[in-house]
Amino acid sequence: MPAEKTPMIPKSLRPKNYRQRLTYLIAGILIAAVTLYLALPIVALFLRIPPDMFFATLHNPDVISALWLSLFTTSITMVVVILVGTPFAYYHSRYTYPGKVVVDTLIDLPLVLPPAVAGVALLMLWGRVGLLGRYLNMFGISIAFTTLAVIMAQIFVASPFYLRQAKSLFEQLDPAYEQTARTLGASSMRILAFVTLPMTAGGLVSGAVMTFGRALGEFGATIMFAGNLPGVTQTMPLAVYVGMEGDLSVGLTISVLLVIISFAIMIIVRLVQKREAGHA
Amino acid sequence: MNGKLTPSHLALISLVLGLLMITALFAGCTQSTTSTATPAETAAPTAAATPAATQVATPVATVATAAPTTVATTATPAPTFTPSRTNIVAFTAASLTGASPTIASSFAAAYPPDTVSFDLDGTQALKTQIENGAYADVFISASNSYTNTLNKEGYFVPNSVKTMTTNYVTVILPESNPGNIQSLSDLAKPGVKIAMAANTVPVGTATTAVLNNLANDTYSQSWKNQTISNVVTYETSEPAVATKVSLGEVDAGFVYQSTANAAPSGTYQSLSIPQKDNYLQTYTIAVVNQSQNKAVASWFEQYMLSAAGQNILAQYGFTAP
Repeated sequence: MPAEKTPMIPKSLRPKNYRQRLTYLIAGILIAAVTLYLALPIVALFLRIPPDMFFATLHNPDVISALWLSLFTTSITMVVVILVGTPFAYYHSRYTYPGKVVVDTLIDLPLVLPPAVAGVALLMLWGRVGLLGRYLNMFGISIAFTTLAVIMAQIFVASPFYLRQAKSLFEQLDPAYEQTARTLGASSMRILAFVTLPMTAGGLVSGAVMTFGRALGEFGATIMFAGNLPGVTQTMPLAVYVGMEGDLSVGLTISVLLVIISFAIMIIVRLVQKREAGHA
Repeated sequence: MNGKLTPSHLALISLVLGLLMITALFAGCTQSTTSTATPAETAAPTAAATPAATQVATPVATVATAAPTTVATTATPAPTFTPSRTNIVAFTAASLTGASPTIASSFAAAYPPDTVSFDLDGTQALKTQIENGAYADVFISASNSYTNTLNKEGYFVPNSVKTMTTNYVTVILPESNPGNIQSLSDLAKPGVKIAMAANTVPVGTATTAVLNNLANDTYSQSWKNQTISNVVTYETSEPAVATKVSLGEVDAGFVYQSTANAAPSGTYQSLSIPQKDNYLQTYTIAVVNQSQNKAVASWFEQYMLSAAGQNILAQYGFTAP
C-alpha cells in the first residue's frame, strides 16, 4: 500500500534522495496502519450482518422503541444543554468570580469520570433513598428508572462538550465588537442576538452536535441510574448490550444504525466547520 | 445514610473539596488532562501460556521443584505463573459471586499450588463470550439451555457436563419494605416498583416461568400483567437485581433463593414462592474443550461436585441437586 503512494507524486516533487524516500515509506505505513486500525472494525461490523437481515430486524419492536427513545432523549438533552449552557458559558467567560477555577474543573470532570461512576453518583443523589431523592420521594416524585433519568444522565456526561466549546468561543471573541455595538446604542439583548451569537454560531452548532453524539452513545450512567426497560429507559446502546447476549441480529442492527448516525454527526460537524472557515 | 453530619463526614467532604481545589489549580495551567494510556485489556488466557505437559499427575502431590518462583523471572513469554502452578479461569454465573471467594480459597487450599479465578457475569454474556473466542477452562452455567447449546456446538469436553447445584426463585424486599408488600399478591399493587432480570438472563427466564405458574395456579392473568407492568428495570445479571433492592431503589426484586439465604441478616426481607409454582434452576459445570489445563479443570469440577464443594454451596444457600 505505501509503495503505491510514491509514483502518484508528480516528478518534480518526488523524493530526491534515499532518506526522503524512507521518510515517505514510514509515513505511508503509519497512515495505512492507523487508517486500517480504525476502519476495519467498522467494515467487519457491516460485513457481519446481511442487508436483508438488517432491514428485517429494523422492524423489530425493540429496535424501533430503542431508536425513538434514543432520538427523543438526546434531542431533549441537546435542547436543554443549549438553552442553559449558552447563557451560562457567556456569563462564565465574561465575568470573573471567586471559585471560577473550581467551576472550570467541574465542567471538565464528566469527561474524565467513568460514566458508570457518574450513574452511581446520580443514583446516590436522586435515587429515592438518595441525598435529594428522599425528599422528592416524600412528594411522590421519583426520578430513577424513568425517561427523565435517562435525560439527566445524558446531560451529566454530554454537556461538557458544548460548555467547553461555548466557553472558549466566547473567550476568544474580541470584546471590541460588542463594545462597538454598545457605543452605537444597541441593547444587550440585541448585541447577543445580532453580534455575539452570529459570530460564534458555527462553533456552537458543532459543540451541540458533539453533545448530541456523546449523549446518543451514553451507556454506563444510563444503565446504573435509569435501568433497562424497553421503551422507557432502554436506549440504543443498552439495546446493543442486551442484544449481544440474546438476539445477535438486534445487537448488530442497532450497532450499524449507530455507526450511520455517528457518520452523519461527523459530516454535519465538518460541513459547519467548512462553512465557518469560508466566512473567515 | 441518616442525613446527619458527623465529624467524619465533614472530614471526608473537606478531603473531596481539597482534591477538587488541587485539580482545579492544575487544570488552570494545562487545559485537558484526559489521556492516561490504559494498558491493553488484560487478557484472560495468560494461563494458556503454561505448557500442559508440565502438569503434575496427581492433584495433591506437590512436586516442589527447587525454588519455582525464581524461574518465572527468566521465562520469556510473559508467564504469570511458574510451570508447576496452574491458574484456571472459570466462567461462572454471576449468581455465584457471593460464594466465589470461598470457593477460590478452599480450592487453592485443597489442590496446592493450583488456583482458580472467576470471570463472573450473567450466563448469557459468558455464553456469547465463549462463542466469540474467549478463553476459559471451566464453564459454570445457571441455565441448562445455554449449557446444552454450547455442548451441541462442541465447546465442552465430552461427558464433562455435570449438574452442580440448583436454586429456586424468590422475591426479596428492602428491609424497610417501602412498598409495604406483605404477600405475592401485593406485587400487583399500582405503583410498586419491581426489578427483575432480562429474559436472556437465566434468573429472568425462571422469573417469567414463575409468574406464569403463579398466574395459572393461584392468582390471575391480570395479576401477572399488573406485576409485569410494575417492573421498572430489566437487569443484566442476578446480583444487579439484588443491588437495586438492597439500595432501596425498588420495592421488590426477583432473585435466587441463594441470594436471600446468604445475605447478612437485616439486608432483605423475602417472600417465598410456593414450591409447586417455583422454577428449579439447574446449574451445570463443564470443562471447556479449548482448555490448556484440562487436568486441573477436571480436578476443579470434581472438587465442586465433592462433599467439600457442595458444603460451600450449601453454606451460600444453594440446594443440592
